[in-house]
This record gives sequence, structure tokens and C-alpha cells, in this order.
Amino acid sequence: MADKKKRRRADPSSDDEEDYGGGGRKPLPFKKRLKADSVILSELKDLTDSFRSSSTSEKTLTLSDLDLSSTCREVCDLDLSSVQDTIERLILRVAQSILSGNGFAFDVPARGNANQLYVPELDRIVLKDKTSLRPYSNASTVRKTTITARILQLVHQLCIKSIHVTKRDLFYTDVKLFQDQTQSDAVLDDVACMLGCTRSSLNVIAAEKGVVVGRLIFSDNGDMIDCTKMGMGGKAIPPNIDRVGDMQSDALFILLVEKDAAYIRLAEDRFYNRFPCIIVTAKGQPDVATRLFLRKMKMELKLPVLALVDSDPYGLKILSVYGCGSKNMSYDSANLTTPDIKWLGIRPSDLDKYKIPEQCRLPMTEQDIKTGKDLLEEDFVKKNPGWVEELTLMVKTKQKAEIQALSSFGFQYLSEVYLPLKLQQKDWL
Amino acid sequence: MRCCYQCLFALTVSIIEHLGWFFYDREEIGKSRFNSMIGLIDRERVDEELYDDYESAKAREKRLAKEARIQEMQAKNAALRKKVKEPAAPKGTKGRGEASFFRVTCKDNGRGMPHDDIPNMFGRVLSGTKYGLKQTRGKFGLGAKMALIWSKMSTGLPIEISSSMRGQNYTSFCRLDIDIHRNIPHIHLHEKRDNKEKWHGAEIQVVIEGNWTTYRSKILHYMRQMAVITPYAQFLFKYVSDAADKNVTIRFARRTDVMPPVPLETKHHPSAVDLLLIKRLIAETSKQNLLQFLQHEFVNIGKSYAERLIGEMGPDFSPKMAVKSLTSQQIVRIHQLFRQAKFDDPSGDCLSPAGEYNLRLGIIKELHPEMVATYSCSPQVFEGHPFIVEAGVSLGGKDVKQGLNIFRFANRIPLLFERGADVVTRTALKRINWNSYKINQTQDKIGVFVSIVSTKIPFKGTGKEYIGDDISEIASAVKSSIQQCCVQLKSKIVKKIQAREQQERKRNLSKYIPDVTAAIYDVLRETAHQQASKKKKQYEEKDTELLTKVSTRIVTEKTLREKLAQHVEQVDYEMALEYATQSGVSEEPREDIYIRAVEGAYDFIDFHSPVFVFRLFS
Repeated sequence: MADKKKRRRADPSSDDEEDYGGGGRKPLPFKKRLKADSVILSELKDLTDSFRSSSTSEKTLTLSDLDLSSTCREVCDLDLSSVQDTIERLILRVAQSILSGNGFAFDVPARGNANQLYVPELDRIVLKDKTSLRPYSNASTVRKTTITARILQLVHQLCIKSIHVTKRDLFYTDVKLFQDQTQSDAVLDDVACMLGCTRSSLNVIAAEKGVVVGRLIFSDNGDMIDCTKMGMGGKAIPPNIDRVGDMQSDALFILLVEKDAAYIRLAEDRFYNRFPCIIVTAKGQPDVATRLFLRKMKMELKLPVLALVDSDPYGLKILSVYGCGSKNMSYDSANLTTPDIKWLGIRPSDLDKYKIPEQCRLPMTEQDIKTGKDLLEEDFVKKNPGWVEELTLMVKTKQKAEIQALSSFGFQYLSEVYLPLKLQQKDWL
Repeated sequence: MRCCYQCLFALTVSIIEHLGWFFYDREEIGKSRFNSMIGLIDRERVDEELYDDYESAKAREKRLAKEARIQEMQAKNAALRKKVKEPAAPKGTKGRGEASFFRVTCKDNGRGMPHDDIPNMFGRVLSGTKYGLKQTRGKFGLGAKMALIWSKMSTGLPIEISSSMRGQNYTSFCRLDIDIHRNIPHIHLHEKRDNKEKWHGAEIQVVIEGNWTTYRSKILHYMRQMAVITPYAQFLFKYVSDAADKNVTIRFARRTDVMPPVPLETKHHPSAVDLLLIKRLIAETSKQNLLQFLQHEFVNIGKSYAERLIGEMGPDFSPKMAVKSLTSQQIVRIHQLFRQAKFDDPSGDCLSPAGEYNLRLGIIKELHPEMVATYSCSPQVFEGHPFIVEAGVSLGGKDVKQGLNIFRFANRIPLLFERGADVVTRTALKRINWNSYKINQTQDKIGVFVSIVSTKIPFKGTGKEYIGDDISEIASAVKSSIQQCCVQLKSKIVKKIQAREQQERKRNLSKYIPDVTAAIYDVLRETAHQQASKKKKQYEEKDTELLTKVSTRIVTEKTLREKLAQHVEQVDYEMALEYATQSGVSEEPREDIYIRAVEGAYDFIDFHSPVFVFRLFS
């Protein structure tokens, strides 16, 4: 027994040394199949060019172009004075109602699941126009109504002073009333939706979360930023997109990474120098700023976007948020979504294709499988037969793997073999 | 040690069967007194090293180190929130010489025992008469005998029994112990005494070694559970010790005089018999041939069905063959067929559940809950044995801890130990979504009462302590019964929440008035300020008017506040009116109390239904 235990513990480490370790006595698996970088590069170049020519000819559809049966709600960027004006008119109406002795109510667009609609032509989720009344004189809505009034007042102040604050700042102006930041955050989205403007127009921003590194030069509030010279960590994506401009790049594609760990590996290995690209991550679920930034890059630089996410239902879910938008922010999906993101990896079929060892795969929990099955029912998955196939395979094998599973072949396998090979084979969906 | 308590409990249980009072007395006896009881004179120790509890210096060092280690481990486990089994009491700290002895006395006003049967009833193991198929509390009649054996093992003192039957003019007194090797009673004294008080019942006294401090809470819990399931009994528990402050006296009052009917003896169901049982039935039957045997010794086999069965058994069977002549192989064949053939389910008529009525009274009497719901499921079958699950769920109450308080009963006996693995505990903890009934599993004081009665309770483990979680028939019946109770409670809880909201609505609505008016007024003031100073915006006439009023301070925050408060007042009034018309005038349910009938016995017949009892006085 003891003997067996010992052997088991010793095995993987010795494997690593022999097969993939620093000695390099044995080549990395699949390394042989890699062609020279220049060959891959030229192919990629052709691809990017063809992508550019096709995307210029197309005009992006908007909601108004479509003849939908149900009317949908969409917001647009408003300047400060018009936000201020809308708030003032709303409050005047409320005050009149109070003074006439009728109490008051806000008419807030419903943002629940039932009010969401996936529009295949646009490939994104939009919000239908159903609204719900939020009266003050009702025990169940009195709190939310009060919070709504308070947020309106705070945004009004921001407009007058023309400054930006973070969501956290906003929460701390009246902790006693808001109790919990999720409450003030949710009402903030309600307010944006009610006023018909984007959340950024309210001058409330989220803290920086996303980072970008690679072949990109842009101006942030007037300062020129060269993302190849930002060290290993890269440049934090600025929370208000309106101060970003003048994007220039010689990259061939944008690489979207789900997680920080894989991002750091690629950044440290300077993957963008071997294959000119821009690497972006939002470290998990993407925030508004990263989504806006990605869309801006894609629109201005006209580059294909390739996504590297975990091979589990949540990876695909994150991918869908970039692509089709989240239900929470569907009122602004026009500005937040990036169309035509390609799923590069790690896909369920890669697990066998790249012979990822059994010990690096994880069994899916019941919750995982349920999420996977639910995703199969979602329209944004159904529209892509390749995705359906991959997801079905995942649910069938009941196995998931993280990007880090590739590290079983050595830490740099991701940047040295897996990604180049994927690019060479144009293996994306 | 645990075994001992089980025995004593069994003893109490068999006595409580009868409607009446019951007296349970534990008396702690010091070692000196005990020695004098057994006729031993206290002696000072001379040679300390001779004794088992003598500790050499080295041994003490070792023990202290070990205890420190255990304590450390416990602290660590506690920090990790690991569940640890109760550590065995460290040996050596309390020598055997210092063990406590108890005289346990149980007295009731039951039917008593016939004078001549007493020695065999207590002094002979497996002499019981519980062989028919019947919902019984015990199985082999071991309980009282085990108590005697325990006393013999720990103190060597005999058991003392007094008993008198109704109408007898004497009391039987018997002092006996048991000759374990020969399995016969060893009678010290067996005599008839005067019965001056016209008492009937039984009194049993044993002296045993035991540990009161460790098992105190268990014993009291058992008593409480007993009181829940037998609201028709009154009993008194007394603990008498040398130190007066340790004395405990608890009285469990009677709440009703309606008792569940006596369970009926029934015949075996063919699906439930084993080979040995068939052999025994054949040996004991008075029927001559196979056909009659099948027809009369089992339930759910009619004449024609018996003929079909015999036809199926094979060519060497015939209806007229003598049943006593069956060979072993033939009996195996019958057993096989019984296992495979289809029979109607046995009926639950032979069972005697506690009844929702009594369960409810018991719960109310012992826990004084704010709410209680009970449910009784229809009889169901597991492996040829009918069973009935009754459940009660209570909320709140006296001496109830937060979270789940589980009370388990099997054939109306409380189950005390090994609750973790029990089907009831598992179901209540894991398979009931308390939240969906608006019950908070960790905050609310929830009482869960489940009583299972059957002709055979499928106990798990060595002791009869818990029912396994692997029998899906029982598990699902338990689950649905608890759920039914919860459904009943839910509507009550919802009503209560509504009533509370009703009371708090005005306060809640008024609470936010200052916040909301301050916010609105702030925007108004800023707007008016800008309107006055800078660029003029186009507003409707009434809005311009309002802004002017704000800048001239005709409309202030106070105005808004008052107007909104007025509105809230009005809305509250309307909603209160609406609530009143909807719910009507409701009164708190009155609680009935039991008043004993005036002296003098009536002749009556009880008609039992699960929810009520109809009593016919003649």
C-alpha cells in the first residue's frame, strides 16, 4: 500500500521531467506539426485582410432597420445637459403628483427575464418595452422607490458638477439607505434605462477591471499609450470609454482571454511579438468598460476577435456576454456587444484532440450539467451549429477543463504550441 | 451503559401501556450506603497500589499528556467545525470504586401481573409470549430481563417486584434474580401481602450502577418524548440525591383520556415470511392439509388463490396433502413461490397508530408551540408488512431550541440514540425545502414529530435505535407526511406575515418619507436655482409655476413631506379596510383543556378515527 502511494506521487513529476521539462529531451506533443512562424503569419495576414474587406462592405444593422413585432427599448449616449434636463422634468412631474395629493410612482422598464428578447438578425439580446410601475405607497416597493429618487438626485448633482464617480462612491453617499451595493447598482441600471441613456452617460463608472496588452496604441485622456510598453501587467482599460481615442495597431487579431492566469502567461511570453495581436482580459465576467473597449477596438481597427475560454459552461457563457450581451445590461446591448467573436479554445473536442491527460480534466457537477443543458436551449448558442456540437459533447462526456489544464505539458505549452497550432489550423468556430 | 438505559426504558414502556399514572424514581446511593445495603462494611484502603484506580507517578504523567493531547485535538476540531464523536470519558480519573449506584423504582396503576407468572416473566430470558404478528413495542420481551441482568452484573442485587391485579385482595411481592447459565429465575422471596390501598398495577425496583450526569439530558428527553406520544398518561419523574440541589422532579400531566385502541393480532402476509417462520407455522398449525393451511394461516390467500398456488408449486404438491408431511425441499419451494407470486397488500387495520388527535395534544401539551400541524398517511406496505406514518410539525414553543428538533417514534416508543442516520432525521434535514413553506430552518424553532407504526419496524444496526434511510417506501411516506404538515402550516404562516405587514405598513411607508422628499426637493431647488440664474428652459406653465413657488419658498421640503404623509395615511386606511373585508374578523384559536370526568366510571365505547373519537355512553 505504502509502496503504491509512493509510486503514484513520484510518477507525474518524473513524467514532467522526462517528457516536457526544461531538459527538452522529448519534444512537446504536437510540436512537430507546427509550421514555421512565417507561414502561419502570412496565412493570418490574408485572413485579416479578407476580414477587413468583408466588414467594410457590410453596414451594421440597428433595431430600427428591423421590422420587429414587439417594440424594443434601446438607449443612446446622452450629453450631460440632456440627462440633467430629463431628470428635472421627471422630478417636476413627481413633485406635481405629490402636491396634488396622489403620492407618486416611477414607471421603470422591466429588466427581468421575461422582458428580454434575442434578435437573431442583430445577434444580441435586446430589451422589450414592458415597464412596471413603482409606486411609493406600497409596502413592497417603497424602499426601491426611495432609492430610485435618491439615485436620481445624486446623478443630477453629478451632472451639475460635471464629474465622474464610481459605483462604490455612489453607494457610500448614503450607505444607510442603500444598505448593500448591489441595491444601488441595480437601481442605477434602472435609472439609466428609465432615462433612456447609457450608464456611462450618468457619469457613474465601475472600477477598472479589464486589462489590455499588445500591439495597440491609443490615447487615454490625451496621453498616448503604447500597450507593448506597459510591462507584464498591461494597461488597465479606462472605465469611461469617451476619453479613449486614436486607436492604431498593426495586430492581425484580438485575443480575448477569460482568465488572468492565461493572460499573464501570454503577456510574459510576449506572445504578441511572435504573432502580432492585442490581448484583452476582464478577469472573469466582463465589466461594461472592457466590453465597450473591445467593441471600439473591433469597430475601429476591423480585426477578427478570437476567444480563449475554459472548456466549461461558464466559459461559453462569458463568451456569450461579450458577443450577445448580458440580460442585466440588455437595454444597452447595441453599444456593449462585439459581433462575430470566434471560439478558439479550449473547446470540449480539444480535450481528446490534444490528449489532455485525465487527471487535468474535472468531472462536471450537476449544476454544471444543468447550466450546460440550459445553454443548449439559448438562441445565441443555437445559431452556431459548431457551438451546439461542442456543447453537446461537453454535456455528454460530463468533463470540463480549464485553460490551465494545458500546463500539464509544461507552463509554456499554451503560448508555444497550443495557440500557434490552433492559428495555423484556423481551428475556430 | 447505554444498553442499561434502554432496558429501563423498555421497562417503563411496558408499564405505560395502560392508561394511568406512572411513577419513575431514581435515587442516587452513595458508595457507603450501597455497601451497607449489600452488607459490606466500608474499609479504608491500606495497600493503595492494589487498586485499579491507583496511579503510579509515571502513569499519571502519561495520562496528563494524553488528556492534553485530546483537548488540543478537540479544540482543533472545534475550530474546523468538524463533528467529533463524544470522547469516551477518560478512564482513570474516576475509578470503579467511585461509581454511582442508583435505585430505580417504577410504579404504575396498570393491570398488574398474575402472582404465579411473575418469576418467569422476569427471571427467564426468551420466555416471552410475543410470537404472533402484531404491532408491538418490544419484540422478544427482553427489556425487563435486561434490566435485571444489568443490576446483577453491576451490583449483584436482586430485583424487587410488587404487583396486584384489579379486584385482588392481596399484593404479590417477589424478590428474585436470574441464574444466567441455566436461564431460570432464582427466587429469594415470593409471597402474598395485604393490599390495603386497593392498588392495582406493578412496581419494580432495581439497583444498578450508572452515570447520571452524562445521561441526564437523554433520560429527560426520553421522558418528554414519551409524554408527547402518550398524552393520555400522567407521569412523575423524581431524581433523589444526597445533595438536595441536584434533585429533579418533573410531572407530565394528562391531557386526555382517549387511548389508541389495542393493536390486533394478525396473520402473516405471504410476502413477509421466511423459511424458519413457515416451518414454525407448520409445526403449530391445527390445519390438516396444505390447502387449509395456506387459506387460514396467511392473510390475502383465498381458497381459489390457494388452489392456484398449489397448482403452481409443481406435480408433487396437492391440495389434500398433509401439511405436516412436507419435506424441507417442498417448504423451500413454497417459500420461493411466496417470494415471487403476487398478493394483495395487507391492510393496515391491525395497526394502532397514536392518532393525529393524540399526537397533536401531546405536542401542544409538552411544547406549547405557536403553531402545530399534524398529518396521518394512509397505510402502506413494505415487504408484506403494513405501516402507517404520522407526522407533526410545530413552530415555536417552550424549551425548544432554534432549528430542527426531531422526535422519532417507532410503534409509539420514542427513539433516542443514533438519530443522525435515521430516515426521519435525514428526510427533515435534507429532503424538505423548509424555505418554500416560509420556515427558516436555522432560525425558527421547528419541532418535527414522526411516528411510524408497523407489524415489523425495519430497525437498522444492533440496537433498536433507528430506522434506515434506504427503504424508499418509508422514506417517501415520511417525506410526504412532513410536507403535508408544512403545507398546512404555510397558509397559517402567510396569514401571520400578512397580519404583521398590515400592522407595520404605515410605519414602513412613513419611514422613507424624509429620505424621498429630501431627494426630490434637492433636485427641485437646484432646478429652480438654475432657472432663476442662468439659461431659461421651456417648461409647461404649471411646472414654471412650481419652480417659482420653490424659489420663493412657498413650496418647501416640508410641504412635500406633509402631502406625502397625507397620501400614505389615506392609502393605509384604504388597505386596512380592504384587508378587513377580505379576512373578516378573526379570533385567536381557543385552546381546549382537559377536565377530568367527575368521579364515577361511565360505561362507554370509543369509536376511533384518525382525527376524532366518538364516545358512546350507555
